[in-house]
Amino acid sequence: MKFGIFYELSVPRPFGGGIEKTVYDNALEQIRVADEVGFDTVWAVEHHFLEEYSHCSAPELFLTAAAMCTSRIRVGHGAVVCVPEMNHPIRVAERAAVLDILSNGRLEFGTARSSTWTELAGFEADPDTTKKTWDEFVRTIPKMWTEERFSHDGVCFSMPERAVLPKPVQDPHPPMWVTVTSPGTELDAAERGLGSLGVATAGFEEQERRLTEYRRRIQHCEPAGGMVNDQVATLNFLYCDPDIDEAARIGVPMLGAFSVSNAHLLFTREAYPSRAYGLLANLAPGRRGRPSSEDNPGARAGIPEGMAIGDPHHLVRVMKEWESLGVDQVNFLLNAMEMIPQEKVLASLRLFASEVMPQFRREAA
Amino acid sequence: MLSGTTALETLAPDAPEIRSFDVNAVPLAGVEMLHWSFEVAAAGLTELYPPALHPTLPPVAMFVAWAVPDSPWGAFRLAQVRLSCRSGARPRGFLVGAVIDNAAAGGALADHWGLRPGVGEVTVERYYDAARVEVAVEGETVLAVRADDPDPLRPNDIQFFATMHAARTPAGLRLVQFDPTIEVTRAERYTPVLEAFDGGAWGQPRLEPNYPVVAYGAHADITLPRLRFATRPDVSAFEGAETLA
Repeated sequence: MKFGIFYELSVPRPFGGGIEKTVYDNALEQIRVADEVGFDTVWAVEHHFLEEYSHCSAPELFLTAAAMCTSRIRVGHGAVVCVPEMNHPIRVAERAAVLDILSNGRLEFGTARSSTWTELAGFEADPDTTKKTWDEFVRTIPKMWTEERFSHDGVCFSMPERAVLPKPVQDPHPPMWVTVTSPGTELDAAERGLGSLGVATAGFEEQERRLTEYRRRIQHCEPAGGMVNDQVATLNFLYCDPDIDEAARIGVPMLGAFSVSNAHLLFTREAYPSRAYGLLANLAPGRRGRPSSEDNPGARAGIPEGMAIGDPHHLVRVMKEWESLGVDQVNFLLNAMEMIPQEKVLASLRLFASEVMPQFRREAA
Repeated sequence: MLSGTTALETLAPDAPEIRSFDVNAVPLAGVEMLHWSFEVAAAGLTELYPPALHPTLPPVAMFVAWAVPDSPWGAFRLAQVRLSCRSGARPRGFLVGAVIDNAAAGGALADHWGLRPGVGEVTVERYYDAARVEVAVEGETVLAVRADDPDPLRPNDIQFFATMHAARTPAGLRLVQFDPTIEVTRAERYTPVLEAFDGGAWGQPRLEPNYPVVAYGAHADITLPRLRFATRPDVSAFEGAETLA
């Protein structure tokens, strides 16, 4: 079982007074600590124009800074938006290769297509075509990385033969993922041999259903790249405190803050009827825990099912449950809208690393 | 989280009084629906909403027309201007204004659903390759929109949202949730074209459409439901949601 940290870089209003710098500085400090205490991956989204919810529009720069101030933790695009109006595929391949070099082969390469009208219309991208362009990106970028010279005659871009440089450090190339927001996208990942990077929260039952089908389909995939990445990651929230009630008092409001911050988003499905956006994304945290009982202290404390909020004992139990479903990696949002003081975020990270992570590492060893 | 900053009483001074919630659901068969969306200028956007509602970013004005061939009050055509919003975290349309061409139907909508349209001319034209809606009040055009180049959609490609509008209830001035059941049998998407819009005539002079989003049409069976929910206008729906008797 691997553990990662995940950044949307939400920024509370008002935006003046250096708050954006504070958010970025805090995140980089958290990443340094996460690297020291043994977390496996730091992920950063790519979003544009999403006021408050995410001010992470240049993740390649943020992740480069993260790589430069750490030595071990892997750095993950969670994910690059594969829409040509936002990112030309050649530039995506080039930037990712440079990040893989600078991080000494620590890049995880997530791909996505954007789910909001706010972003797609901001770049005048056509929502009807994003699935097609994403597909073209994930099939061509690995070739740019691995072929000495590459040419392409496609739908969203074409190019004469050129050497796309530099090449990534990892052989054959960095592991590739697809962010999974809407149900069904995990099947797109499986069919192409790509990792399933969950970025919407889901309860145990829903996650288990999706995982089973993903595992079945990836057995027969036609890899889009030079390797199969059959890992499944899920998104969670982390607040670990020695006292479960204190953890709930501080951690649960973070879930509400996250939900409120994404309420302004104008999802494509809401604004623009299209066959390409069939289901609304569910970015909000999951439902409340099962009914109170002696053996469910999280529910008694008002912690939603599966959320990594609680004392170390509770979090071991929650992580075991995720592990039993076959999830390979759990990625955590550590804060939302800066509502948890930085020193508490760092203490939570350290406590989780010292008391919870060893329970999983020992078994792996 | 951004919230509206203008009192509902200011935004909707003529909100009707709902005379009775005790009404059976009213089916409206074979309705031609047309919908246009345009982004609107975001400057000062919180002033367009009451405190209970939260704007979307970007805010979107929605022009909606229904051509109803038959109802308990006869045929009618209804045009609405809505503003995209959230009530709590749920997507909704805040009703800015409405115009109907059948005074009896308008009276029934006001009495039972708290939706009081002004009376005017609503023209709904559908062609093989386009559709057009024009709304006029006292001879002045207050909205003219055209939809070009239809492209078929699956019926479930369209997502409909409840409208929140101002009405006086026994508990006081409230935002009531108007949530018709809409069963689509045919749907198309179009390129939207705005020919004319007078926001002041609809009650919101600051509404300035500035970027086209989409137009779509649908043939649908609509059921006007009994109202079930309302929310206090002065606080977020997280605090102010109420169930109507």
